Amino acid sequence: MHKKTTYLIPYMLWIGLFVIAPMALILYQSFFNISGHFTMGNYEQYLTNGVYLKMTFNSILYALIITMSTLLISYPTALLLNRLKNKQFWLLLVILPTWINLLLKTYAFIGLFSQNGSVNDFLRFVGVGSHQILFTDASFIFVAAYIEIPFMILPIFNSLAELNPSMINASRDLGANSWQTFRRVILPLTMPGVKAGFQAIFIPSLSLFMITRLIGGNRVITLGTAIEEHFLVTQNWGMGSTIGVVLILAMFVVMYLTRDRKAKGGRIQ
Amino acid sequence: MANSVIEFRQVNKSFDETKVLDEIDFEIEAGKFYTLLGPSGCGKTTILRLIAGFADATSGDILFEGQKINELPANERQVNTVFQDYALFPHLNVFENVAFGLEIRKISKTEIKTAVNEALKLVHLSDYGNREISELSGGQQQRVAIARAIVNEPKVLLLDEPLSALDHKLRKEMQGELRDLQRRLGITFIFVTHDQEEALAMSDQIFVMNAGKILQSGSPVDIYDEPINHFVADFIGESNIVPGKMQRDYVVNFDGQDFSCVDAGMKPNEAVEVVIRPEDLDIVAVDTGQVNVTVDTQLFRGVDYQISAHDKMNNEWKINSIHKTSVGQIVGLAFEPEDIHIMRYHETEDDFDARLETYE
Amino acid sequence: MKKWHISNLYLIFVFLVLYLPIIYLIFYSFNAGDTMDHFSGFSWRHYGTLLSDSRMISIVLNTLIIALLSSLIATIVGTLGALGIYSTKKAAVKNGLLSLNNVLMVSPDVIIGASFLIFFTFLGFSLGFGSVLLSHIAFSIPIVVLMVLPKINELPATMVDAAYDLGATTWQTLTKVILPAITPGIFAGFFMAFTYSLDDFAVTFFVTGNGFSTLSVEIYSRARQGVDLEVNALSTLMFIVSLLLVVGYYLLGRYNQSRRMQRVKAAEAKINQ
Repeated sequence: MHKKTTYLIPYMLWIGLFVIAPMALILYQSFFNISGHFTMGNYEQYLTNGVYLKMTFNSILYALIITMSTLLISYPTALLLNRLKNKQFWLLLVILPTWINLLLKTYAFIGLFSQNGSVNDFLRFVGVGSHQILFTDASFIFVAAYIEIPFMILPIFNSLAELNPSMINASRDLGANSWQTFRRVILPLTMPGVKAGFQAIFIPSLSLFMITRLIGGNRVITLGTAIEEHFLVTQNWGMGSTIGVVLILAMFVVMYLTRDRKAKGGRIQ
Repeated sequence: MANSVIEFRQVNKSFDETKVLDEIDFEIEAGKFYTLLGPSGCGKTTILRLIAGFADATSGDILFEGQKINELPANERQVNTVFQDYALFPHLNVFENVAFGLEIRKISKTEIKTAVNEALKLVHLSDYGNREISELSGGQQQRVAIARAIVNEPKVLLLDEPLSALDHKLRKEMQGELRDLQRRLGITFIFVTHDQEEALAMSDQIFVMNAGKILQSGSPVDIYDEPINHFVADFIGESNIVPGKMQRDYVVNFDGQDFSCVDAGMKPNEAVEVVIRPEDLDIVAVDTGQVNVTVDTQLFRGVDYQISAHDKMNNEWKINSIHKTSVGQIVGLAFEPEDIHIMRYHETEDDFDARLETYE
Repeated sequence: MKKWHISNLYLIFVFLVLYLPIIYLIFYSFNAGDTMDHFSGFSWRHYGTLLSDSRMISIVLNTLIIALLSSLIATIVGTLGALGIYSTKKAAVKNGLLSLNNVLMVSPDVIIGASFLIFFTFLGFSLGFGSVLLSHIAFSIPIVVLMVLPKINELPATMVDAAYDLGATTWQTLTKVILPAITPGIFAGFFMAFTYSLDDFAVTFFVTGNGFSTLSVEIYSRARQGVDLEVNALSTLMFIVSLLLVVGYYLLGRYNQSRRMQRVKAAEAKINQ
């Protein structure tokens, strides 16, 4: 049975070199300043210099707006999709755009939102007149939400599909109308899907720097953009790593907040 | 009938091309325990769903206390359902589940509390209010489902095979409790099952169904003693069904002999089926009974022996006897004229009832 | 149910929003002009430019080589890892390994990219083909494990016992019994690793250095310079390839998911357990 350990050698090497070492290094790096000296300065600066805190706050705010607007669009969509006849086919159509390179989809909006682009053509047509759309907060939020929608629809769709139909019958039977049934039964029972969607969208919304760069111009700075900037532009890896550690912490906080709180798991079947 | 709560008039239900319910007509009286009995797919659950409002009839009228309710949505009907899978809400605890219907009706908190506790007491779950559904056993979930329905004081309680997920012992126990509960509350129960024993034990009235039709309705004793046709006789209890010929009123011929019986009203020489229940047959010495049979198999079941035998016309006979025989042995079978029940081919329930009127 | 609902309008609107940008992109790839706001006539011109762009063609080849090599190596390492995790007896060790396995599944791409960049620099490893390949292998391994492990867990324990009982050695049991039984999982893992690699931008962007580029990185740098209809032509071709892949996977019944979708599923599984 000595074979068992030989199986594991390449895999353990991977865990050591590409999982543990990089994560440890990013933490380690966060304690060094730009000239390579050990310091707590990065954290000190992060916490005291208003710019970083404001950027973090803004990034979280943007991510919340993106996630909530995605949720508002996706929940009704998932609900309606579930009633369709060939719902698996329609779901596939929702998933298909996620197969197209993210950068190409973002690039499409550079054309759509440009000064003479189709959206401005349309605005002129309806008499609103053309506007600067590209490089605004709204355009960044719109494109991010556009990219994330399928990732929110899928988990909600799945939790709706798993919902035992007799739950809805039972609710109606006990006198609840459609709205009461939705609020008291359907929504609470599909919360796991909503939470999964929230996790899947909130964290990337904090970190997708390519959308901010291409659509938000340099107006919108998120945690991800800041990390990219510090690593690849200003070469201040220490500060970049510090923000990275903050992002990792944010990830754990989100996962903690969206865990299944009432460990009930009481699915009757 | 002044007392009727629910009435079906020529109700049909089809899914795509398949007919699930075929011209269903019946009336349900207030305060009784009804059972819809039939094999799976016979349409019994569909009837329940039509009453509850989870499905629409393709044609025909459904009446509740004389008012047509075809278009009335489920949440406005004065009936409640105990679901086969209980359909308890997993995100609510026991108390919240039972309180659900009352909260919807915006009843005051104190009244809800009293009513829920009362209902939980009725199903022997007084101390379980704060439990989560996932912490309960199947039998307990069953009771919560019943409490959740009866707390709303419905006019009619619909029970969709509620005992099918329970083990044999618990099932027997719940049968008694349900029967008892119905008597105490005085609510009409409509109970759906495929278990004939359950139906016989609990009901005031049984509707025997097959292939989307109600074949026979009546008290358990009527249906057991006077099944209308081969299907009902076979489905309810064990039966010996042998082909025969009605010689004249009160005389039937089978196994090559004439026997006196208590049935009449058929045409002379009409081909009929003869039913004799296995427990009505006594094993006696050869030639001292009415029929001689040869024993084929014998199984010991504890209380009695289940014996299978054949007569000289090769009809099969099942006999339940406390006396032992041996395979290959020829024995006599003794029975009384009252033990014989005659069934005509293709007789409807109305014709059957009309014929009984003529000589009873 | 058969009645036409106003709600269908909402669905139509959502699908329009989902697909319009993509259709728009493809539409303008046939524009005779050079902008994405005025269609001046039909032309294959931008496809001609794309096909004669030797830099773009070498980048496509690089991307494919990276994807093939990384998914192949990740499949081997991941399968071995899954076998190793399976044969681990202690529950605590097993759960520890699975948690470590999921670190790269849940981490944001910027974090993976930045930490790999520090790692390579720390080792003095020069950035380029090698660092990109290693990174792609690294982020593909966990998905292979997640595809293969359930297949191994599904194997009846008696099957392995039966093989030993019939006189097979450990090696024979592995190659003749276990591997054939988990082949579907291995293939699924390979295809998924392949698509992850093709799709990746952020991690590659951090570790690619100056001399080496993949398609995603190239699209990004061109998009930063503004509209270039050669990119539209490229997106049409990539859309067709994606469509073929999806249809292919769908027909094979091996319903594949993008990396992000897989993450959503992992999140779902965690919340539901």
